[in-house]
Amino acid sequence: MTILALDIVTTALILFVVAAGLMVILGVMKLINFAHGAFLTVGGYTAMVVTDAGLSPWLAAPAALAFGFGAGLLIERVIVRPLYDRPLDAILATWGLGIVITQLITLGFGREVQFAASPMTGTLPLGDTEYSAWRLVVSGVALAVGAGLTALLYLTRFGLNARAVIMNEPLARGLGIDSGRVRATTFGLGAGLACAAGALITPLLSVDPNMGLPWLVNSFMLVLVSGVSIPSLMLASLLLGGAQVLVSSFVSPILGGMTIVVLAAALLRINPKGLSLG
Amino acid sequence: MVEPAPVARAARPAAERASGATARTPVRSAWRSALVGSALGLAAVAAGPFLLDTYTTNILIRALFLAALVVGVDILWGYAGVLTFGQSAFFGVGAYACALVFTHYGFGPGWAVGALALGVLGAAGVAALVGWLAFYHGASPLYASIITLALPIVLVQAIFAGGRFTGSSSGLSAFPTYYWSVGTWFTIAGVYLVAVTAAAWLFVRSDFGRLLVAIRENEERCAYLGVPVSGVKIALMAASGAVGAGAGFGYAAFTNVVAPELGGFLLGTELLIWTALGGRGTLIGPVLGTLGIDVTASYLTGALPFLWSLLIGIAFVAVIVLLPQGVAPVVASGARRLLGRGPAAPSPLALAPAPARAETREGVAAPLKVENLSRRYGSLKVLDGVSFEAQAGAILSIVGPNGAGKTTLMRCLSDGGERTGGRVHVNGVEIGRGAPQTVAALGVGRSFQNTNLFDTLTVGECLTLARYKRDGARKFARRLALDLPQPALDILSATGLSDRLGLETRHLSHGMKRGLELAMVLATEPDVLLLDEPTAGLTKAERTAIGGVLVDLARAHGLCTLLIEHDLDFVREISDRVVVLHQGELLMEGTVEEVVASDLVKAVYAGERAETAP
Amino acid sequence: MNVPPVAPALEVEGLVSGYGGAMVLRGVSLRLAPGEIVAVLGKNGMGKSTLLKTVMGFLPAREGRVRLGGEDVTGRAPHLVARAGVAHAPQEFTIFQDLTVAENLRLGVSSDADYRARLGALEGVFPRMLERLRQRAGTLSGGEQKMLLMSRALLARPRVMLVDEISEGLQPTMIDRMAEALRAAREGHGVAILLVEQHLAFALSVADRYAVLKLGEIIEEGAAGDPAAAGALADHLKV
Repeated sequence: MTILALDIVTTALILFVVAAGLMVILGVMKLINFAHGAFLTVGGYTAMVVTDAGLSPWLAAPAALAFGFGAGLLIERVIVRPLYDRPLDAILATWGLGIVITQLITLGFGREVQFAASPMTGTLPLGDTEYSAWRLVVSGVALAVGAGLTALLYLTRFGLNARAVIMNEPLARGLGIDSGRVRATTFGLGAGLACAAGALITPLLSVDPNMGLPWLVNSFMLVLVSGVSIPSLMLASLLLGGAQVLVSSFVSPILGGMTIVVLAAALLRINPKGLSLG
Repeated sequence: MVEPAPVARAARPAAERASGATARTPVRSAWRSALVGSALGLAAVAAGPFLLDTYTTNILIRALFLAALVVGVDILWGYAGVLTFGQSAFFGVGAYACALVFTHYGFGPGWAVGALALGVLGAAGVAALVGWLAFYHGASPLYASIITLALPIVLVQAIFAGGRFTGSSSGLSAFPTYYWSVGTWFTIAGVYLVAVTAAAWLFVRSDFGRLLVAIRENEERCAYLGVPVSGVKIALMAASGAVGAGAGFGYAAFTNVVAPELGGFLLGTELLIWTALGGRGTLIGPVLGTLGIDVTASYLTGALPFLWSLLIGIAFVAVIVLLPQGVAPVVASGARRLLGRGPAAPSPLALAPAPARAETREGVAAPLKVENLSRRYGSLKVLDGVSFEAQAGAILSIVGPNGAGKTTLMRCLSDGGERTGGRVHVNGVEIGRGAPQTVAALGVGRSFQNTNLFDTLTVGECLTLARYKRDGARKFARRLALDLPQPALDILSATGLSDRLGLETRHLSHGMKRGLELAMVLATEPDVLLLDEPTAGLTKAERTAIGGVLVDLARAHGLCTLLIEHDLDFVREISDRVVVLHQGELLMEGTVEEVVASDLVKAVYAGERAETAP
Repeated sequence: MNVPPVAPALEVEGLVSGYGGAMVLRGVSLRLAPGEIVAVLGKNGMGKSTLLKTVMGFLPAREGRVRLGGEDVTGRAPHLVARAGVAHAPQEFTIFQDLTVAENLRLGVSSDADYRARLGALEGVFPRMLERLRQRAGTLSGGEQKMLLMSRALLARPRVMLVDEISEGLQPTMIDRMAEALRAAREGHGVAILLVEQHLAFALSVADRYAVLKLGEIIEEGAAGDPAAAGALADHLKV
């Protein structure tokens, strides 16, 4: 029972941290980044490169964050910027970008499954039971990311400007806010978060060029259900991720794999605004 | 083909001016090009097995079936604007119908026909269900894409969950099938593709095809003209699903192997890539794109396995960013320049007066009755407790300062889902929560403040579209003659539009767009006419002309007309009664004289009325 | 005149702009000296808001120039025009409803240090804003929202303020407060103010000069102090 509760909570937090980058980009840019899965994969390979180079595995996620941020700025400039007025085309172009990234990784690292060293192995005692140490660490990081994003949005000037752009872009521009720069920074941040999330989940799984794909679809659904709000995304991750764990444990793991997609589609049909808490 | 009526000849010079080249009628040219194209296609299919080696033929059979699937993607995305990730699922349904029946139940001609029917009907049913989920009034285009994205994921998981029955992740193989020669299968696949493409070619060039483009360009406006937009999209989804399932069935019967990937999300995105690269909305582009890319891929994945996918990915991104219409239009315009021919000019259309409607409007004295109407956005009241009646044969003007709620009122009268309280009766029927097309069917016609029409449709096509409610739309042909009610014809001739039926609406002047807008609404033969600033931005002469038509409509044709206007002189000239709105409330209702004389109204317009908020 | 010419705070020359094919402004020219208040009068739909939107760069100028202190800003993006010293108080979608009063005010000032330094200055003009800093702007009354809008523009300490129908829907006492705030801004910081108005009495009480805009052209200009002008103007603006 404790294990099940821990599974639900950690799954929800992992889903949250994986989807956060997608939500940041959707929130400010009104753009669905279908390269999100590929960014996760890049994060996974960054972790592998860092550990293979003999550096501490704890550096993997920060390195992925930095790399993703830089790459995100470049990608925004070249691919995303011309597509702000064409949201459906932006989905396709970022999907194409995902293919390009995946193939570049395949060319560089091969298509076989590989492993990255984990900063922590084994289990931690938790009350009367033992639980995977790294899952607990990732969950803690997810909570920190949620808190950090909230602080960034609500306590900093960049956050205020970003919220102003989200709410009313023309008015924000009329007040001297460079919305283009806010968008570029946001895309960099979203890409960086995605890469960092990829590095974080890598020790739980393995690394292969398509590792991000299943996460992309689930993240996409979670973000659409939650709307742009950090607490809503937490809630959506908990509800849908929890349902996934329950279905996988008690019905069938295969049905568990489509739980999030089906529930999200149904929720959105009933209430197009999803769970949005505002 | 029928010779166009004499009136149509008069419209030709305008069409020629528009295209700058010799005009060809697309009705005829669509049939001609479909026949020529089919003949060429069939010739290629017949010659293929003799010219190609077995390996290439084998690959091409797969590509031909996939190209038939891509035709559905192009119609949905390129023409109707529905970005679908899930077309592969229908291919999968068709393929698995074949494999499951042949593996578990039996094999023979009867079983084959039954399995094909099962696959096609099953796919159409799934597609209709998906359409019902995805297309409802007010649904965002993104939601439709989400549903089509979920579909293949669910299908693949269902196949995984099917265990031995579906073969799970390894699929089914070695079931009995017809071991015909590769050449025979090539012919089957080729003929199927040619037939599907030719039918689609005629379909997209028909009146119905133009309706799809109109939905893509301005879905909202279509609904207000009485077009059942959601129903059209659902039917389209079902039809494309059926065609895709047919292709999937053929592919499974040919290869004797099915795997979950055939119905998967990745194939669904590949279909989009082929469509985008070939040129969405051109049919031939996506078909050739599919054949070219799929065949090249089969050769190159051996030699340069990952590089090929990389190149396709780069090309895809570049095309989406730089060349959203794909490669086909570039090639086509190059070819035209080479051949010195302009694009096909739109069909000349002969206009004639429609017979007067049998039912009279005299039955209901007040065709529009509004009771206690309110509209809130959260705590903000935009309309509050508005009640009035509008009479047949009279013009009722709605005036009030900016933000009084005038346009919101129009919206609440023409879309049942808009108001948050109160009742609206049209011809004695409560509109309930009816979508715009439902309200339009009750007899409400609405014109809009902005003149965003359907940019790539011609004047004639817009008018044909406006007659959908009365005349329907032909699915494989164009109409050459259109009956319009007399007032619509009057407006067309007064604004000079009747000489420009072949011109695309984006080339029209502002005044002509306003005229067309009004003519389209009148073409639906409404009982209640809602006009939102029909004279905004018009010259004095144009205003007078439109004013005359409106007065005539009310007096001679008994139309109940509601008019939003800023120009109070215009209101004074043509109105029978005036309703004054202020901050969402009905401030006063009366004759023109009463309202003009009212001190209250003067005060409101001078902006001196004390603010009522706390 | 031997006085060295001072570059106008705002100079609009032969401005043409509009939406799609319809031209709303058809060659408008205006000059505002530093510290000058000019009222542009006209009925709805005559191009008043379009003029402000074109100056800000929200709409492209098809023809003509816009200069700020002699510097040509035609064709610049709105945020660059704003940074060049223009504060725009639009008529619609004026404030961020879901942000607090304090956040709305902060957004008017480019740095948080300047914001903190200047906030106290509101005490003399709109003290009520200082009492409501933590309140969500959308919950303010209509008049208070206008105060917030004006406070935000004042805090920006701009060279030029573009004020769109600030008097609309306000009580007479509130209109007087707005007039005082505008005069104080001119005297305090020498800001030039372009006032777009339908409310004749308010506009003439604040402005130094007026211009009447009709169908996209300026058809009349004059000094606001001239009492004879008021009667003729009322004719232009009558219902």
